[in-house]
Amino acid sequence: MSVTASPAASETSAEAPVTTVATLEPIAEAPASAEAAHGDAHTTSTGHGEDHASGGLPQFQTEHWAGQMVWLVVIFTVLFILIAKVFAPRLRNVIDTRGATIAEDLANARAIRDEAEAQAKDAAAETAAAHAAARKLAADAKSKATAEMAAAQAKEDARLNGILAEAEASIRAKRDEALAHVTEIATDTASALVEKLTGKAPTKTALTAALKKS
Amino acid sequence: MADPLHQFQIQKVVELPTIDVAGVPVDLSITNSVLAMLIGVGCVVLFFALTTARASIIPGRFQVMAEGLFGLIDDLSESIIGHDGRAFFPFVFTLFLFILSCNLVGMTTYFTATSQLAVTAMLAILTIGTVIVVGFVRNGLGFFKLFMPSGVPLLILPILIPIEIISFLMRPITLTLRLFGNMVGGHIVMKVFAGFIVALASAGVLGYLGGFVSLTAVVALTALEFLVAYLQAFVFAVLACVYLNDVVNLHHH
Repeated sequence: MSVTASPAASETSAEAPVTTVATLEPIAEAPASAEAAHGDAHTTSTGHGEDHASGGLPQFQTEHWAGQMVWLVVIFTVLFILIAKVFAPRLRNVIDTRGATIAEDLANARAIRDEAEAQAKDAAAETAAAHAAARKLAADAKSKATAEMAAAQAKEDARLNGILAEAEASIRAKRDEALAHVTEIATDTASALVEKLTGKAPTKTALTAALKKS
Repeated sequence: MADPLHQFQIQKVVELPTIDVAGVPVDLSITNSVLAMLIGVGCVVLFFALTTARASIIPGRFQVMAEGLFGLIDDLSESIIGHDGRAFFPFVFTLFLFILSCNLVGMTTYFTATSQLAVTAMLAILTIGTVIVVGFVRNGLGFFKLFMPSGVPLLILPILIPIEIISFLMRPITLTLRLFGNMVGGHIVMKVFAGFIVALASAGVLGYLGGFVSLTAVVALTALEFLVAYLQAFVFAVLACVYLNDVVNLHHH
């Protein structure tokens, strides 16, 4: 385009917007110089420019171009500097801080969750240990009680068995005694019977033989 | 009927002296176009000054809006240009906010600065100028490789290089005319339909019906124009990113 066409670009003052405008010289120059006086006159005289409709779009009135372009560059530069130096860093900072805060909070929450889980595991282990201890204690007590009971029972059994044996022995003795008397009684009875029947007492040997026969 | 082009007429608001720069008269008067830019950029500066002054980790409503705009362009420049995009973010963000605010000032209150050919042309020149400067600073004379895509058979190059050069030269023109055309066209159409309402309503009972149709059209067009106002700012920002990417990542081509 016309950007490179202007030799004035390098010679103009250091002011940035002016340089930009000067580079646009070929666009603005030809119609502007011809119409500048006329255009100025009609805008200032009519104020509203009612006759411009005949000339097409008002945007092609190039006498207004240079001023708009200079102002645009100035306004754009101000906005650019404000955004680059103030607004963008502020916003980026707050967004980054938010990200960091969220990440930190998440890490904290995760750590706390892990800790809680570890504690829950510990508590479960403790409960299990307590359960085992209680079960062992109960089993011990039960076995002890069983043993004691068995011992007591055995002792009682032994005592009772003693009494029983004693009683059996006495019964046996009494029976033996009674049985021993039976022969004597039988001999006596037989002797008496024989004496009654025969009138004469049998001999001792005969009685014994007879008894033994029966 | 009111002239639909009258809305684009430059008028002086504050008279300032005309200076002569290398034979070019530069009228420094504050015109309605300049005032509209000042209003738009003033609103942007005020908005961002207020929302970022006490920016907190838990954002308020307006801070969410500011961060939304920031994130939109930040993602855009980063996704198109890559990790170098952060260096060009302020420029792209400034372009986006400048065009968006000027478009919205035109839609809502005052004057559409972006419907001025001088304004859109200057924005395009700023963009392409930045692209050229960045291209030479980063690549030196390798910048001219932009016009010679690698991996192309030598036979095609004599045809391809002129095409590439022409397409590069067309970029500022298309940037200029796209924004200019969209804003001018939309505002003219709205003005014409609005003019129909008055013209038809004065034509009698049947005209009321036509006027009502025109009114509906104006309401719908207004909604569309708000979309266009945003979209054109976004498109300009996207294209600025694409053009910057061409020269920033030239060796990747």
